[in-house]
Amino acid sequence: MSTGGYTTRVDAGARERALKILHEKFYDVLKDVVEGRVPRLVIKKRTLSNTIYDPERKLLLLGDATFERSFLDLREARKFMQTMLMASIIYEALTQGEYPTIRDLYYRGKHTIRYRKIPSKAVGEENTWDEQAESDSVLRDIEVFINVLREEMLVLSKEKGKVVGDLRIRSGDDVIDLSKMGHGAYAIEPTPDLIDFVEVNADFVLVVEKDAVFQQLHRIGFWKRYRAVLVTSAGQPDRATRRFVRRLNEELGLPVYVLTDSDPYGYYIYSVFKTGSITLSYESERLATPRARFLGVMMTDIFGSRKLGKSPYLSEEERRSFIIRAKERDVKRAKELREYPWFRSERWQIELDEFLARRVKLEIEALASKGLKFLADRYVPEKIEVGDWID
Amino acid sequence: MAAVEESFKSISAAEFFYKNKEIAGFSNPARALYQTVRELVENSLDATENYGILPRIKVSIREMEVVPEGAYYEVIVEDNGVGIPPKYVPQAFAQLLFSSKYVLKQSRGMFGLGAKMALLYAQITTGQPAEVVVAPIKSKRVYGFKLKIDIGENRPVVLGFSTTSNISGTHGTSVRLITLGDWSRSKQRIYEYMKRTAIVAPYAEILFRDPEGNYLLFERSIEKLPPPARETLPHPHGVDIETMKSVLKSMPNSPLAETLVKSFQGVGTATALRILEEARLDPEKMSGDLAEQEVEALVRVMRSYRDVKPPRADHLSYLGEEIIVAGLKKVFEPEFVAAVTRRPSVYEGHAFVVEAGVAYGGKVPVADRPLVLRYANKIPLLYDEGSDVVFKIIDEKRGIDFKVYEVEFPAPLIILTHICSTKIPYKGVGKEAVADVPEIEEEVEAALRGVLRELRSYILRKRRELEEVERAVEIAKYIPEVASSLSKMYGVDPREVSVKLLEMLNSRLRSFKIADLGSVVV
Repeated sequence: MSTGGYTTRVDAGARERALKILHEKFYDVLKDVVEGRVPRLVIKKRTLSNTIYDPERKLLLLGDATFERSFLDLREARKFMQTMLMASIIYEALTQGEYPTIRDLYYRGKHTIRYRKIPSKAVGEENTWDEQAESDSVLRDIEVFINVLREEMLVLSKEKGKVVGDLRIRSGDDVIDLSKMGHGAYAIEPTPDLIDFVEVNADFVLVVEKDAVFQQLHRIGFWKRYRAVLVTSAGQPDRATRRFVRRLNEELGLPVYVLTDSDPYGYYIYSVFKTGSITLSYESERLATPRARFLGVMMTDIFGSRKLGKSPYLSEEERRSFIIRAKERDVKRAKELREYPWFRSERWQIELDEFLARRVKLEIEALASKGLKFLADRYVPEKIEVGDWID
Repeated sequence: MAAVEESFKSISAAEFFYKNKEIAGFSNPARALYQTVRELVENSLDATENYGILPRIKVSIREMEVVPEGAYYEVIVEDNGVGIPPKYVPQAFAQLLFSSKYVLKQSRGMFGLGAKMALLYAQITTGQPAEVVVAPIKSKRVYGFKLKIDIGENRPVVLGFSTTSNISGTHGTSVRLITLGDWSRSKQRIYEYMKRTAIVAPYAEILFRDPEGNYLLFERSIEKLPPPARETLPHPHGVDIETMKSVLKSMPNSPLAETLVKSFQGVGTATALRILEEARLDPEKMSGDLAEQEVEALVRVMRSYRDVKPPRADHLSYLGEEIIVAGLKKVFEPEFVAAVTRRPSVYEGHAFVVEAGVAYGGKVPVADRPLVLRYANKIPLLYDEGSDVVFKIIDEKRGIDFKVYEVEFPAPLIILTHICSTKIPYKGVGKEAVADVPEIEEEVEAALRGVLRELRSYILRKRRELEEVERAVEIAKYIPEVASSLSKMYGVDPREVSVKLLEMLNSRLRSFKIADLGSVVV
């Protein structure tokens, strides 16, 4: 657990570190140019084939395969220019003490290049980048290239994660009591590393995929009754939420349970929390929570399991009204998941096989419809109690 | 048999052509004016280039008097050629079928007939004599003649003769005719003829003054002349009954064997004797004594006699690749031009050489099909394209597929073909189309495919170069951005970085360089 200190000092340190690495890493490009070599960047590939699952650490990590981004390579020239542009924008923001968002970086770099075509002499116009997806992509390349995460470069992004619970944190110069948020909740800040945990009264963390279910559980006082820190990612988890959950687990030693829809997308959200994502595997070391547990909703919660000696939480009639027929893409996604090494455990194969056999899915809201009390006072505590979760 | 010969003799050659003037292209005033210009210009070209002289030719047409059928025109054609010796001038210009011996030589005019037909036509339409001035090469004097033709007797009539000292030391021939013509109906044709002549004679300087007072000058763009045509004897395989008769008639008092040896190429005494034996003819028989059937038998044996060398081609005067290229460049200013001269080949006992040229892009007009310039013995063939062998070869449906050569119409494409031979197999009397003799067709197609292959590699190379240029611009346009980024991070001069990056890019370009970044980045 971090022991306080002013975040402004933390900020300054982070800035200096990031600046130094950025300056050093890109210096090679300048050296190439000055010495007459074709400037190029050698960057680790962010592809599925270069994403390696480390079963020991239960993490998705970036492999060692690299690609070369050379300025004189027609296919890479634009990306090279964009990478250099992004590096210089971040460099300037760091030196000037700013906190740009990824949207800011997009706007700061976006301008029009006007050029004359040969031989037609027609004037062509081209934006340095058109969509934010383009500037985001080179930002990720820079994170990988210099091995520094954007948060460490004081780059902010819009975060949607929320948290409530009996804990007090220091963010900036304020101490915030997360048990006194009324009907609202604390929005996790984009740089969760700059948060200090001041005081914590909780036994576990419950991460809920759906914002609506988070609010329902908050309203009926679930976190008070069960000494929980209640977190929602509101869909696909962003980096700040994942980093915050990781710190709750790693620094405070709180077990983390994840509650998602019972479909391949929900299962994958859980795996992002636990092992990292394929597209952002370079961040896993800092963002993933390898000990996070999948609480539900499981296929075997809906249908029970003879193999596991488990009886279903839903009656035949409830099943008929709550479950939804799986779509073709759900089935396709489930088949993909079954092949991922981190879903290869026997327990996950039972769930995925059950899904593929039944071809149905269930949203968490359906359990709340059966009764909020059922969800809050029976389903969640009972499953934690008996250990009906997947590690 | 003898009666036929008698009746042929009973009218003079001049009279015969007068009665059949359309055969020589003098069928109406418009056609006649064009033909007059053409015959005189071709004589002038033959009189210069065949003797190693770079031609300088002046052509002038003036309207003298309007008449119901058209108008009387003064036509003057002047050259810097060798100049005919004065004693031959009357026969050369005013006696039809005047020739000393029967030899073959590739020349523009056939039988030396054209200029005489022009004189004859002028005389019968306007009654005016021709004025011929000659200054033979190295001659100290200049000789002037006023000539007419005695049509009934086929004899030149000299109406006037004068001579002056050749003070300037010039040489050449000048012919002045007053003839019936129709400029407005032949204008286009004459201009087209001038232009097409200039294309294959880039070594000539031609000045043309038309009746409206406009001058057109084709400047000389190359100092090189085609190899001169040399005389050669006919080849046994190419002989026909008429030629054989003429040969025999020219040496009536020499034994057959001797006549064959002296009159045909590739025939020595041994060969002559074997030929005559096969034709069952007495080698000692006098040449003038052969009967019609004997002539036929001799021709038959000679045409099929195998043990004789193929016809010689070294006497042919082809243009050569350099001249075709220079001519096409000069007249059309194309982006690409190529030419090929094929090796000599033979059809029916006649040697021939095919040449082809191609001009593409630049100022060549874009059209739905190639513009075809056909030549035979350096004479432009302007009409009857549809029945020419070349037309068959490039026919849209059955001929060469231009797409194979990366040409998609509409396209700026000119094709030039030149066939030279001591005997061009013309189709019809108009002499504007070459017949599709298989050997010639094969050679023309090979020549065309040859130049089209060069065009294809040019188009492909250009396309590759264009792609390289486009690719280079795709990179160069980012240089200032990269330089500015490095400048922001390291405080270096962005211009220096730009220069370095541009150097690096340029060193990798093969077909062109970007001289200045300012030409790319706006």
